Amino acid sequence: MNNVGANTHRNNNRTQAGRPAVDDFGFAVSRIAVGRICETVGFESFRDSALNSFADIAFRYLRDLGKAAGFYANLAGRTECNVFDILRALEDLNFQGFSGASVVSNCITSSGMVREIMEYVETAEEIPFAYQLPRFPVSRERRMVPCFDHMGETPPANHIPSWLPTLPDPHTYRQSPPWNDRKSDLRAVKLEQVRQRRKTERPLLNLQQRLSTYGPVGRPTNSDYVPAENAQGTQVVERNPFLVSPLVAGDTDISVVNPPDLPWGGPMNDNRVSVFEAFTPAIEAVRDRLSDEANGDGMCKVLPEKRPAVQFKFKLSKKVLGHSLDLVLRDGNLGKPVSVIVHEEERNDKMGRAEYILRQSTENPQELTQF
Amino acid sequence: MNYQHPQPQPPQQSGEGKHDDDASVTEFLASLLEYTPTIPDELVEHYLGKSGFQCPDVRLIRLVAVATQKFVAEVASDALQHCKARQASIVKDKGNKQQKDKRLILTMDDLSKALHEYGVNVKHQEYYADSPSTGLDPTTREE
Repeated sequence: MNNVGANTHRNNNRTQAGRPAVDDFGFAVSRIAVGRICETVGFESFRDSALNSFADIAFRYLRDLGKAAGFYANLAGRTECNVFDILRALEDLNFQGFSGASVVSNCITSSGMVREIMEYVETAEEIPFAYQLPRFPVSRERRMVPCFDHMGETPPANHIPSWLPTLPDPHTYRQSPPWNDRKSDLRAVKLEQVRQRRKTERPLLNLQQRLSTYGPVGRPTNSDYVPAENAQGTQVVERNPFLVSPLVAGDTDISVVNPPDLPWGGPMNDNRVSVFEAFTPAIEAVRDRLSDEANGDGMCKVLPEKRPAVQFKFKLSKKVLGHSLDLVLRDGNLGKPVSVIVHEEERNDKMGRAEYILRQSTENPQELTQF
Repeated sequence: MNYQHPQPQPPQQSGEGKHDDDASVTEFLASLLEYTPTIPDELVEHYLGKSGFQCPDVRLIRLVAVATQKFVAEVASDALQHCKARQASIVKDKGNKQQKDKRLILTMDDLSKALHEYGVNVKHQEYYADSPSTGLDPTTREE
């Protein structure tokens, strides 16, 4: 059987519109109550449509009772109903008649209606409703629009009294440009970024300068590469402890290595040296290149007296300037790979280096402390 | 609220009868406080409020609830009679070979028959047709 019945309208209202009807909650509860009463009468199950119709009719009866009772109260000049109004309403709505209905002059309390109800209460078993219901419908506090007096505003025109509610704000009905202060924020953010970049770049450049000026022997020299090259080249070769002839005390004038006066402490020495060693091939290559340009190919054909040291540096240290310093092949005659490195380094302009340093610092935040 | 009786009443009953009736009603209302009707008070108040019924007294709310419950019970018992009658007739026709389903189901059919005696006409569509002219055959269709 289709789920249709006398309540087609209500069902359609709910299913087609998709929105709950006004009285859905009350109707649902009334269905439960009516179903429960039918169960006590003897029914075991119900058709959905039949139950809907029955609940609708039963509560229409209840509403009519209230309406009739109110009518009788009003007729007697009262607004509140009492028991007699209800009894008269019951007599009006009674379908099947009761004893004594035709006797109009009897006291209402002696009518058969009352007796029937009293009998019903006494005989029927008490079945309380299964659920606790709140008071419904729930009324919400309404926010009142304040009047002109409350807001302290004067009405915009003379004909509007001040006790009326205020007019709505213009932004509710008129389109206004959005308040946008993102531009200034963006600029400030960019300025902040540039400032930070400059801040990190400065100490690194200082370091580079210092290393170039102090050189491998630790003595402050000229900042220019060219005049110091020759001295540096021979001294670099001599610095290899494995290939240098053992020094006799007092024989040679051993240069004292004075580390530059840097603010960083002892454990950084290794890294500092390694940094310098990273610069050394660059320095050598520059020297070679410049000498090549100056002398043609003279330098290349002259073999050095000593075989230049091939130094392998294996380090587990962190990347300092992006080059893989784990394995650096230093050979003065190997111009090509070194020159590539040189060109890379020298091609970096200030901004690029700064960016690179910044990137390194963000990747390895510990390294930043070294500088 | 007592009327003057134009018809002669048995004299010994006149005074006491009224008192008895009043007393019984008063007792009844008092007993309603203990009796909990199946229809909850909040629901009854909601629907009575919709119809303009003003009363702060709980006993009257319970009285209305009990009256509605009585109405529902009467209609339901009538429908039950119809249902049982139909089952009995079916069993009588088919004999004992087919055990009729013993479940008592409230159907639209029984309900409309029961409500008809109460003056409520509930007509239930058995099916919906696609269009008014579907299967049109006036000789076989009941209006």
